[in-house]
Amino acid sequence: MAVREVEPIVLDLNRLENLAESGYYNPYTMFDWPDAIDPGQPWMSESLTTLAGTPMWDGLTRAQQLALTRFEAINFFSLNIHGIRELMSEVVMRIHERPYADVSEFLHHFIGEENEHMWFFAQFCLRYGGKLYPTQPSLTADSVDHLSPVARELVVFARILIFEEIVDHYNAHMATDRTLPEIAREINRVHHQDESRHVAFGRMIFTNLLGQVARRDPDEVPVVAEYLEKYLQYSIATLYNPAAYRDAGIPDPLALRRRALEHPARVAAHDEVLKRTRKFLSRSGVGRELLP
Amino acid sequence: MTHPMQTVREFILGRNPGLAEVSDDLDLIDSRAINSLAFVEFLFLLEELTGEPIDPEDVAVDDFRTVTAIEARFFDRKAAR
Repeated sequence: MAVREVEPIVLDLNRLENLAESGYYNPYTMFDWPDAIDPGQPWMSESLTTLAGTPMWDGLTRAQQLALTRFEAINFFSLNIHGIRELMSEVVMRIHERPYADVSEFLHHFIGEENEHMWFFAQFCLRYGGKLYPTQPSLTADSVDHLSPVARELVVFARILIFEEIVDHYNAHMATDRTLPEIAREINRVHHQDESRHVAFGRMIFTNLLGQVARRDPDEVPVVAEYLEKYLQYSIATLYNPAAYRDAGIPDPLALRRRALEHPARVAAHDEVLKRTRKFLSRSGVGRELLP
Repeated sequence: MTHPMQTVREFILGRNPGLAEVSDDLDLIDSRAINSLAFVEFLFLLEELTGEPIDPEDVAVDDFRTVTAIEARFFDRKAAR
């Protein structure tokens, strides 16, 4: 981590820090965890499952559809857990480094809240699903080695922001979905509430670091844009877990996954999930329109 | 039926529009033709082509370094059995 090459980041975070303090809650006591969830209820909004809107969903029995909502809820929460593990480790490594000194107060709130989110997501998975899905395998070779140190810092916070914005799309919808069990709704609601502050912070730090990249070498901006677009697509694809299809009793999960990812209804759904983030990236001058 | 290694090459070319061809010994890792973001998709493709699950614990980065290495690790072994 070459923080010497990053200029100090100064942001006006008073409002976000005050909100974090005034909205502080005890996650360990605030949820009412039922012993079991009614098997007739979906655990994830049906319209948010990875087969929604396709003939593949219509071809499932009702039992398979409900099972898919259960295993995709476990997959969604597992992705949250692994995403939080990754982002927390990155932030922890930076919190009292010189460029981040001015934002360290907010980063303390951020780390604390993310740890709590990880706890309640894991509670749900382990209590009702009996497991987490493992993290996605990755290559030891890094996909950002070609970027400058400042751009790599930008990518760290961009990944956090993108992850949070995608997840928030799902949380916001499920927070008010009356077909879901109350505990699932509540987890999504609480997470959505905290994430709105994290997203606001994420956009501010992203804008600062992008400005540093553009001042240092404007030619690197399209290279970052290409990476971010690939990261958006990668993130969407992680929602399509063949293990969840397998667990839901759906045959030929790999071929199904491939067909689902390419289906026009799903491509439109991905665009909807990513709309807000793509708009922000374009407005910031690092959207996919820069790609060759 | 398309040869599985042809499908492997098409996957790599599809993700790297700047690449004219994938030679047998092109270093796919150093050239970033397969990077972290493409890796999961690539594993799923190999699982589908070989019909067998791949344990991420059981593979090393060098297994994916060249087309030759991929063929030897995932296809020749299967054919030899």
